[in-house]
Amino acid sequence: MITMSHYLVFSALLFCISVAGIFINRKNILLLLMSIELMLLAVNTNFIVFSHYSNDITGQVFVFFILAVAAAESAIGLAIIVSLFRIRNSLEINLINNLKG
Amino acid sequence: MDIITILFYLVTSVIILSSVSLIIVNNTVHAALLLVLIFFNSAILWLMLKAEFLAIVLVLVYVGAVLVLFLFVIMLLDIPIKKNISQKLYLLFSVTISIIMFAELYMVIFYHDFVASVPTSVNSALEFNNTYEIGLSLFTNYIFSFEITAFILLVAIIAAIAINMTGRQRSLRQDPGKQILENKKSRLKIIKGEDL
Repeated sequence: MITMSHYLVFSALLFCISVAGIFINRKNILLLLMSIELMLLAVNTNFIVFSHYSNDITGQVFVFFILAVAAAESAIGLAIIVSLFRIRNSLEINLINNLKG
Repeated sequence: MDIITILFYLVTSVIILSSVSLIIVNNTVHAALLLVLIFFNSAILWLMLKAEFLAIVLVLVYVGAVLVLFLFVIMLLDIPIKKNISQKLYLLFSVTISIIMFAELYMVIFYHDFVASVPTSVNSALEFNNTYEIGLSLFTNYIFSFEITAFILLVAIIAAIAINMTGRQRSLRQDPGKQILENKKSRLKIIKGEDL
């Protein structure tokens, strides 16, 4: 019998793996963007689990909004990456220090 | 073990294994294809949770549009394949942080005791229509949020174009207007021999 906790533990595990992915990747900013997509997927799975088990459609409406915002975010992110690659000729995160932050 | 349990463990193990290999893989194209696998399996998981509309939206929008966009960018940029995990410090740091986060989330989940909760039966009624319910909620309670989402997508389109529209001339193409405006004086310069 699959309970709610199974799904919640799964999505917590997925979220933590993608957080580790953000820290690990120092050579490729595209993989960082993919890790963010994975985090959003874990959050969306959580929303759908709660929507299913509390029998409320609102969670699924929020997943719909998150999907739209994530699509917009990845489009802008990829545009920034393309223009960054034109300027720097590499995608290494270590080398991105234009703002001296 | 019924078929749903077997399916759950199969799908989640595929997702977890491919996400682990996504964050340590060196080739970006392989990472994008692994992401396709993850999204497809997540759609199966969402179908098991009776969210049919969002499952098919995940396949259509993410696998069909966003990941194809990723692959386009990867192939446009010609990224050199480098060894991804170079510093041991980052690896140690990331594993520690993610283990701490997972332990905290695990404690929260089992403190609230979600184990006992079972789904109520309204969602599984035969006449229940997932897409209809989402649409009803979206166009009554959340209509302003829906309009704002449309605006966000418009802003994303404009931003993605504006970022990459540089004013510089990149190609050596012909400009007919400039060609017509050229005259003898601007093309030909006569200098006397003794000036040299």
